[in-house]
Amino acid sequence: MGCCDVKNDPKISNKKGLKIVALAGNPNVGKTTIFNALTGLRQHVGNWPGVTVEKKEGIMKYKGREFLVVDLPGTYSLTAHSIDELIARNFILDGNADVVVDIADSSCLMRNLFLTMEILEMGVKNVVIALNKIDLAKKKGVKFDIRKMEKVLGVPVIPTNAKSGEGLDELKKAIVAMIDGKITTNPVIPVYEEPIEREIEHISKLLTGTVLIERYNLRWLAIKLLERDEEVIKLVLNHLGHGKMDEILQHISELEQYYKRSLDIVIANQKYEFIDNLIHQFVIHQGEFKETLNDQVDRILTHPVYGFLSLAAVFYALFKFVFTFGTPMQEHLDALFSNLGEAIAPYIANEMVRGLVVDGIIGGVGAVLSFFPLVFLLFIGMAILEDTGYMARAAVVMERVMRKFGLPGKSFIPMVLAFGCNVPAVMATRALDDERDRIITMLINPLVPCSARMVVITFLAGAFFQEHKALIAVGIYMISILLALLSALLIGKFIIKGEESPFVIELPDYLIPSWKTVIIHSWERSKEFLRKAGTVILFGAILIWYLSNYPVPVGSGLSYAEKLGKALEPFSMLMGLDWKAAVSLIFGIIAKENVIATYGILYGVEEGEQALAILMRNAMTPLQAFTLALVTTLYLPCIATIGAIRAEGGNKWALVAVVYNLALASIIGILVYHLGFFLL
Amino acid sequence: MVMYVRLTQMREGEKGVVVDIRGGPGIRQRLLGIGITPGTKIWVIKAGRPGPYIIAIGNMRLAIGHGAADKIIIRREA
Ligand SMILES: Nc1nc2c(ncn2[C@@H]2O[C@H](COP(=O)(O)OP(=O)(O)O)[C@@H](O)[C@H]2O)c(=O)[nH]1
Repeated sequence: MGCCDVKNDPKISNKKGLKIVALAGNPNVGKTTIFNALTGLRQHVGNWPGVTVEKKEGIMKYKGREFLVVDLPGTYSLTAHSIDELIARNFILDGNADVVVDIADSSCLMRNLFLTMEILEMGVKNVVIALNKIDLAKKKGVKFDIRKMEKVLGVPVIPTNAKSGEGLDELKKAIVAMIDGKITTNPVIPVYEEPIEREIEHISKLLTGTVLIERYNLRWLAIKLLERDEEVIKLVLNHLGHGKMDEILQHISELEQYYKRSLDIVIANQKYEFIDNLIHQFVIHQGEFKETLNDQVDRILTHPVYGFLSLAAVFYALFKFVFTFGTPMQEHLDALFSNLGEAIAPYIANEMVRGLVVDGIIGGVGAVLSFFPLVFLLFIGMAILEDTGYMARAAVVMERVMRKFGLPGKSFIPMVLAFGCNVPAVMATRALDDERDRIITMLINPLVPCSARMVVITFLAGAFFQEHKALIAVGIYMISILLALLSALLIGKFIIKGEESPFVIELPDYLIPSWKTVIIHSWERSKEFLRKAGTVILFGAILIWYLSNYPVPVGSGLSYAEKLGKALEPFSMLMGLDWKAAVSLIFGIIAKENVIATYGILYGVEEGEQALAILMRNAMTPLQAFTLALVTTLYLPCIATIGAIRAEGGNKWALVAVVYNLALASIIGILVYHLGFFLL
Repeated sequence: MVMYVRLTQMREGEKGVVVDIRGGPGIRQRLLGIGITPGTKIWVIKAGRPGPYIIAIGNMRLAIGHGAADKIIIRREA
C-alpha cells in the first residue's frame, strides 16, 4: 500500500522472476514446519526492509520447476496495529503473491478462519487453505467434510499434518495447479448486518470515482474505514479529499452511535458469527470444554511460586547445555585458528602482510567463528523451548516483573542469556513479537554482564578487595542489572515511545518438538549471524590489530593504541583512570576479557595473575579499581555484540547502543569515582 | 450474584460469555484478532490477582495480563 513505510520488494531476491507463493497464518499453526517442508534447505533468512521482522524465503521445487516461497509473519488478523500484520497485509494487498497459502490450525478452526476471512475480504482469489494439524483435530474428536468445506469457502482445502509430511504433496500440487490457472475459485466473503452492509455500499460508491479502484478492493477499503483503520484512512484521504472524507466519518459516527460501540468490535463480532455459521456446515463434531492434563500443568508452571522455581530450573538447564557443550567447542576453534596462524606465518615473508593475515584476518575470522557454537547451541535450546510450548509459559511467569519496567515477560529471556554471552542473547530478541519491545530489549542487553566481563570483575575484585571480593563482585552485577532495567524504562519513555502492547498470549499444547524443524531453524539463524555480525567483527579485529602494531608494536608507548590512550587520558582521568586503563578499554572492545590481558602487556607481565595483581595494586587505589570494573562492565558492547545488534536491528540501533552505553558508562564512572572520593 | 463482571472478577472454573471489550483500538484489535469477541464463550482456568489469567475458548488456551483482562466484560453463566 502506497501510504505505509513498510515496503515489499520481492524483486530483490527474485531475479529469476519466479512465481511467488506466500504463506500466511496465525502464530504457531505450523507455518515454519510447512515452509521447511516445501523448500527444504534452499532457504534464506533476512529481514523485511526497514524493520527487524524476520523474513524467510525459499525455493520450492515441483516437477523440475522452481517457485519462490515467502513466509509472511504469523498474525491473528490484518489490522494496522502491528508491524507484523502490516507486512503481511501489504504483501498480499500489493498483489505480490501469485498464490496465498493460508495455513489454518484445524484444532482451533474458529479463530484461524478469522484470518482466512480477512484475506478473502481483500479480494484475493488465489488462495489455498492448508488445514494443518489434522492429526490433533482428529485426536480431539473434530471431523471435517473437506469437500463441503471447499464448496462453502470457495477455495481448495488440503488437510495436512506438517509434522509427518502427510498432505504436503497434495498441497504442492494444488499450489502449482493454481499458478497454472487450472483451478478457478469462488471465495466466500463475510456478510454483515444490514446497517453495516448499507454503509459499505455507500462508501464503495464514493470510492468508485477514484484511482483506488485500480489497485484495491473497494469493499475491503470500506470495511477498513468503518473500523477506523489509520493506514486506510490516510490512503483514502489522499484520494478523496477532506470534504468527502468528513462525510464518511460522519456516517461512521452515526453507525457507532447506533451500535453503541466501535465498529471494529461490531464487525469482528459479526465476522465470527458468519464463520460460526460456515463451520457448522462442514465440521461434523466439535470438541467441547474439557479440562486436560495441559491445564493442570499450566496451573503449576504459571504459579507465582512454583512457576518461578521451574523457570529457574529450565534456564539453568539451558545454560548448562549451551556452555557445557559450547565452551569446549569454542576453545577448540580458538586453538585451531591460532595453530592455523602459526602454521601459515612462516610462509609469508612480508612482515606487514604476515601480521595482517595472521593476527588481523585469521584472528578476526577465528573470533567470529568461535562464537558460532554458542550461538548455534543457544538457538537449538531456544527452538526446543519454543516448540515444546514452554516459552509461552516462561513469558507468563515473567510478565508481572518485566512489566514494571515497561517490557513484556518474554524480554526476560534475552536478559538471562546475556549472563552467558550477549551475542546469542541479542539474537534471541527475535522471539519478541513487538518491534518496540524488541529494540528496547536489544539496547539494554549489553548492560547485563556476560561471562567475559565476569573474568574482569572477579580479577579486580580479588586483587583489590580480598575480604569483600564477593560483595564487590555481586555489587557490580546488581548495579549493572539495575541500570539495564532503569534504561528500559528510560528508553521506553523518551527514545522509543509507543503504546504498551497488551499481554495476551496463546498457550499451545505441550508437544514433543520435531527435531528436523529445530535443527533447520537453528542452522538458518546461526548462518545469518555469521553473515551479518561476521563482517563487523572482522573489520574490528583488523582495526585493532593495526592500532596496536603501528608504527611500532604496543608496549613501547609509541603505538597508535597507546597514543590514543594518552589522548583520551584527560577524559578518562575524570573517572580516575589513567591512559593504561584507556588503552585496555580500547582492546576490551574486541572481547572484554582483553582488558586484563592488555594490562599484562602494558606492565610487561608475561605470566601470572598474581604478579599483575601486585603491580596494579601499587598503581591504583581500590576506588579506581572498582570504577574500572564498573566501567568495563558498562561501556561499549564488545564488537561481536555490536555486530549482533547490527544484524538484528540495523545500523541505526547499533549506533544508538554504542553511544548510549558509552555515555552511561562515562556518567556512572565519573559519578562513582567522585562520590567515592568524598565518601571514603 | 452479579451477572456482568470484568474478567478480572471471575473465579476459577466459572463460565461466561464475552459481551464487550473496553479500551483503546490497539488493545481491542489484539483481543478481537486472537478470538475474544462479544459472543465468545469462555471458561476460566486460572484466575486471581495479580494475573495472568488463563481462559479457554474452545480448544484454545489464552493467558491474559491483568490490564487486558480488566477490559473484557463478561456475562457470567451458571
Ligand atoms: N501434531 C502436529 N504438530 C504440528 C503440525 N505442524 C506443526 N506442528 C507442531 O506445531 C508447533 C509449531 O510449529 P511451527 O512450524 O514452529 O509453527 P509456526 O509458529 O506457525 O511457524 C511445532 O511444535 C510443530 O512441530 C501438525 O500437522 N501436527
